[in-house]
Amino acid sequence: MDQFIQQFATGLSTGSLYAIIALALVLIYRSTGIVNFAQGEMAMFMTFTAWSVWNWDSNFWLAFFITLIIAAAFGALIELVALRPVESGPVLNPIIVTIGLVLILDSLALRIWQGQPKPFPSPAMFKGAPLSIGPADISRTNVGVFCMSLLIMALIYLFFNKTKVGLAMRATAQDRVAGSLVGIRVGRMLALGWVLSSMVGAVAGMLLAPTLFLSPTMMAGALLFAFAAAVLGGLDSPVGAIVGGLTMGVVQNMAGTYIGSNIDITVAFVVIIAILLVRPRGLFGRKAIQRV
Amino acid sequence: MAAGLAVLIAFPYLYRLPFFDNYLSDFRTFQATRFAIWIIVLMGLNLLTGYSGQISLGHAAFVAVGAYIAAILMKDAGLPVFAAVLAAALLTGLLGFLIGAPALRLSGPYLAIATLALIIVLPQILKHPSIDQWTGGVSGIRISSPRVPASMHNNLDMNTDQWLYYNCMLAALIMTAMAWSVTRSRLGRAFIALRDSEIGAQQMGINVSLYKMTAFGLSSLYAGAGGALYLYQQYYVGPTSFDITFSLTLLIMIVLGGLASISGAVFAALIFTVKDDLTNFIVAHIPFGEKIGIESSRGALFGLLLIVSIIFTPRGIAGNLRKQKEARPGGPRKSRIAALVNKIGLFSRKEAQASSD
Repeated sequence: MDQFIQQFATGLSTGSLYAIIALALVLIYRSTGIVNFAQGEMAMFMTFTAWSVWNWDSNFWLAFFITLIIAAAFGALIELVALRPVESGPVLNPIIVTIGLVLILDSLALRIWQGQPKPFPSPAMFKGAPLSIGPADISRTNVGVFCMSLLIMALIYLFFNKTKVGLAMRATAQDRVAGSLVGIRVGRMLALGWVLSSMVGAVAGMLLAPTLFLSPTMMAGALLFAFAAAVLGGLDSPVGAIVGGLTMGVVQNMAGTYIGSNIDITVAFVVIIAILLVRPRGLFGRKAIQRV
Repeated sequence: MAAGLAVLIAFPYLYRLPFFDNYLSDFRTFQATRFAIWIIVLMGLNLLTGYSGQISLGHAAFVAVGAYIAAILMKDAGLPVFAAVLAAALLTGLLGFLIGAPALRLSGPYLAIATLALIIVLPQILKHPSIDQWTGGVSGIRISSPRVPASMHNNLDMNTDQWLYYNCMLAALIMTAMAWSVTRSRLGRAFIALRDSEIGAQQMGINVSLYKMTAFGLSSLYAGAGGALYLYQQYYVGPTSFDITFSLTLLIMIVLGGLASISGAVFAALIFTVKDDLTNFIVAHIPFGEKIGIESSRGALFGLLLIVSIIFTPRGIAGNLRKQKEARPGGPRKSRIAALVNKIGLFSRKEAQASSD
């Protein structure tokens, strides 16, 4: 039983990692309707930027906030240069552009910062002995990541549901023509979506770097699971991203412990697809209703 | 048509002639064989994604399954190559048809991620101890290398590369003709109707479930055949032969080549075959390349080329050519007189254009 609880806790820790990346994916899908394959690479690139800033002035929080500002500009730049020209074209084109961005960012990061993993500072409050909750131990970093995911989720919820800009962004995502007809600056809203998700991605990267080790490939594995988590929760639901992420982590860990570590990923994906078959828009996703 | 066929037939022997020997070699024949295999794989993906509008990010999984089935049939069951390739194609097609059933409930990004899951989990399944007596686990399967029939070798001085070329190119021609006739039949029109409006297609009496599953089955059949031929050329397949990057690249190529077009799939296969050579060429010839460290930024260069081509040819090469043809004065379905007037230049350019509209 103790082993079960410990494995469950470990699963939640891994899951919180998937959840926070999934949040960034949900954010961008909700505001632009694009599945962003470059989310992991953008986060990695920003984390390296944070590392460079931290090397220049070794104050974690200063580096953190400077990186957030850079991430915002980075998101806007990507939207303007790479995504804006393909927005009105066929639906697959933005996806292909994000895959192109993956290649570019990967290659540039490798060139600028080289391949070997780098140590990344973690804020003082995350250091120290793991917390004991009943029979299970959870590291402080994972608790921190989990709390941060909840905070970001709450902020996203408030932003989309309680502010005028959030409403305008939802309108843009739903119907661009109708949005522009009521006076919404569609282009700005789309850029804002990229800015926000780039910032969430940067936060995720900086929180995860101490555990994953900072390298150009740090996000490659986690991103696929974050995708699965976002889809499981429902691509347009921030709550779904958290629930999906945690479920994904727990299922993967349980399958690894009780079925065999050589089949854990397979079991996790089988569970996800089984859930999707019952709820094709994810656990918390809204059903798409089409008018004919 | 006849000239094209003649070139296709002569191609693997051309390098034995002067002039051509500067550019062609057995290696180019090998690449042309790969080109034929990619035509088959991408033709199938285009039937699924281009014609019936179902996004698949995991198409490589079916290519891998086809290669494995062919390998097992050749090695363990001792089937001849032709039978093994045919059986691999049919079995992979059946598997795709069945996988199409759960996929019916999913659409858009949900379907995309669910299909991506196929290629994510496949290596783990292939390596699993319960089946590794057939799949060979981590080390994969090595079959005996392809052998040129004695009559071909003696009479035509044919080597292995040339023999493989003729086999794969013939398969590619047959399967292209098959795809061409499918897209111009009831089945193909049903696929297109499905893509443009599922509800509309249903109203027209199209069995949406059956046709979606058929689209999955047919495209998997193509992937399986391609995978089996890949195995025949490579005489090896392993759990990492086809990975996520390969799978995503297939989709990228089909978009670059042109969705919902037979020639689009051929262009896609061509780009896929030469993309590394092309990147190398640019790396070697770009001015100031050394200064900006182009050598170590190949990935960035390829990504940049990809984004630029999507921006400038949003409908792929085939789509772009079609658009130009339609825009040309006196193009298809436009009055011949207007074209003639244009040619003679009776009116100023503006007027001629107006009359052709």
